[in-house]
Amino acid sequence: MRLFIRRDINAVVIAALAALAAPPVHADNVGDRLVIADASSDRGMPAPYVHHKNGPGYIYTSYVFDTLIDHGANGDLTPGLAESWTLSDDGLVADLTLNDKARWHDGTPVTAEDVAFTFAYMTDHPYVLTSVAMVDTVEAISKDHARITLKRPYAGLQSGPLLSLPILPKHIYQDQPAPERFVDRKAATGSGPYKLVSYDKAQGRYLFERNDGYYRGTPKFRQVAIVKMAPDAALQAMAAGEVDVIGSLPWTKVEAAKKAGLNVLSARSNHPVRLVFNHQGMFREKDLRHALAFAIDRQALIDVVYQDGAVVAETGYFQMGSPWRRETADPDYAHDADKAAALFRQNGWERGDDGRWHRDGSPVVLRLIADKSFNNLATALADQLEAFGISVDLRILERAAQQEHVRTGDFDLALFTASTMGDPNGVARRVTSPMFWRGDRFQDSEAMKAAIRAQAGALDHAERLDQLHRFQALYAEELPAYMLVNPIWTTVHSDKVTPRYLGDGVAFGIPSALHKSMFLR
Amino acid sequence: MTDQIRYGAAGFRRRNGLALGSAAAVFGVMAVGLVVPPYRTGRDVLQPPGPEHWLGTNDIGQDVLIGLMHAMPNTVFIAVSAALISLAAATTFACLAAIGGTLVATAVLRTVDILQVIPSILLLLLFAAWLQPGIAGIVLLLALTTWHEDVRVLRAIVLRELTRENVRYARHMGAGWSYCVTHHIVPAVWPTLVGLYVQNIRQAVMKAAGIAFLGLTDPRLTTWGSMMQDSLDHLHGDAWRWLLLPPALSLSLFLLIVLAVGQRLERQTMAGATARP
Repeated sequence: MRLFIRRDINAVVIAALAALAAPPVHADNVGDRLVIADASSDRGMPAPYVHHKNGPGYIYTSYVFDTLIDHGANGDLTPGLAESWTLSDDGLVADLTLNDKARWHDGTPVTAEDVAFTFAYMTDHPYVLTSVAMVDTVEAISKDHARITLKRPYAGLQSGPLLSLPILPKHIYQDQPAPERFVDRKAATGSGPYKLVSYDKAQGRYLFERNDGYYRGTPKFRQVAIVKMAPDAALQAMAAGEVDVIGSLPWTKVEAAKKAGLNVLSARSNHPVRLVFNHQGMFREKDLRHALAFAIDRQALIDVVYQDGAVVAETGYFQMGSPWRRETADPDYAHDADKAAALFRQNGWERGDDGRWHRDGSPVVLRLIADKSFNNLATALADQLEAFGISVDLRILERAAQQEHVRTGDFDLALFTASTMGDPNGVARRVTSPMFWRGDRFQDSEAMKAAIRAQAGALDHAERLDQLHRFQALYAEELPAYMLVNPIWTTVHSDKVTPRYLGDGVAFGIPSALHKSMFLR
Repeated sequence: MTDQIRYGAAGFRRRNGLALGSAAAVFGVMAVGLVVPPYRTGRDVLQPPGPEHWLGTNDIGQDVLIGLMHAMPNTVFIAVSAALISLAAATTFACLAAIGGTLVATAVLRTVDILQVIPSILLLLLFAAWLQPGIAGIVLLLALTTWHEDVRVLRAIVLRELTRENVRYARHMGAGWSYCVTHHIVPAVWPTLVGLYVQNIRQAVMKAAGIAFLGLTDPRLTTWGSMMQDSLDHLHGDAWRWLLLPPALSLSLFLLIVLAVGQRLERQTMAGATARP
């Protein structure tokens, strides 16, 4: 009886959601339409300055805006707006030849003027997700020849800014003094495979239409719709053929998806959850960071919280499969309570008769902050530390409150997650920069800073790798943050389309399988 | 006359008995938290009820039965004390508004008006999101967002009692205000206070469940409301049967008991008050 009732409720919910979600299209072209379900709400209008500053926001924008260099279906660098590019021997001048078939969505040709304008405009109005600080000047030599001059040799030019910087139409953006307030439909005039038809902020709905004159060939689907739908509803809608792709399915639903016979694509996200230390507090001491690492049983955390949804993360920053990683076993800080206890004792901690740890005569209480999505992980971690004798003051905070705690140093430990993929020039921001609040904000190792600087200037690929391998070893040894778990992310799709997880992520390292190469023939 | 006195005294004794009994029960409930095993995460996740875990486990392997027992003192303590504080505050302000001058009365009543216009759940959410309160914080927050609802009722009753002929007569015969308060006003207001208290408990339970529901408290401060919230992710599977039903039933049972005790207390105090000489 209960089953029937539940099925009925589900049916009603699905029907209601489908009614909300279905974009206004006629039945005769349904086969041409690709529907992507996204569990979260709005990702912002798909234009460079107004999309939300996160992976999905960028991905949806990339359907409308092309970059100079792009990923191929296997993750390699392939021509985007730039048909070919060369770099001078001193590494300071890059010459790009643009594809002369490229057009803006309003029909205007894409020229070197637009490229020069984009770099200049983004110097004045920084695009948060990619920096152009290394660029000195960009000139339009001819209609299809742009020349980029750098301030200093910059190893990641192709796999960094050229790969991830959306090129703006000069004729539209040149009159915009405040692009972050430019939300007119015209702001979404790009040169990418899809044109924006409608965007409903309240419901988080997007409808794109194929750019028929796309310079890389006509895209596969006439329309692409993105609808907001909870995972359970999306799974049922997919089984009913109403949805083609579920961008990110929580691991708890993967079994259900497999049982329903859907195409399930899973990959290590390489977007690990790290235990970040407050380097202004007691964890300035490396020994204490090591001691805490030995006190934590990462496999047990996975068994309790993730089961099949994650693997133990690599401690040397780069995760398995990263092209920048040295294939060697990083120190794994295997759970060893005695070793942890010995290290704590060496650093002046003492264990009381009740088994609790004391420091300078008072019991140790660690303040652990995390956001709601890590509720379970934080609870299990706090449990482990409590069992070891360390009291934990656990706070689940909203984003703004977290930011405030980090800014004022009012925490000892934090759970954060960020991608470790993409061009390694992102490492400086994620590890050593004091400005990025969810980063490691680790300033104490000169050797690490030197390695990061050296790789950025290394023109020879082998030399760059060498520096990055040094960084990897230093990271595992210094432990600016302790990489806990590497979650496995899952995309579910119909037979209409083949999403792929790229080896080093999309653009600056987004672990998404929804790169636009899946729309191209 | 003597019969009436005896009846009143019996009512009073019975009332005290019931009150003592309730207090003992509340302390008993608090003590439960000290004796049950710790509410630990474990590898047996989402186990259905069985010999090992009588009521099953949740998605991080915590035993539901142990959770229920840990949540009981928290839930009961929050409800009982938040209701008490809010009633005390309401009584104080009601008396101020009744006996203070026009200025005081206006100030109190306008404040109450303002608080009544703003939905209290909104205030609660704002403060809770901002402060991430512990158990004492939640009690205070709940009290602060409920007290105003009782002020008008209490003020009206206090005003009425202050001007009653029995009080005037007693004053005329030379009784002091303290005598009048203890012998005439408190007995007359008491049944209303009891009624309001029960109502406040009910509201506090629901609101505390509400904040826990939105995940605005320390995740390890287990209440029946927070357990219900955690179970919502499992509505599509089978696990809701052992994750949602036990805390929901416990919460309903507690409210039923509170209502029953309240009704009894109210009946007896009414009887006691009317039987007074």
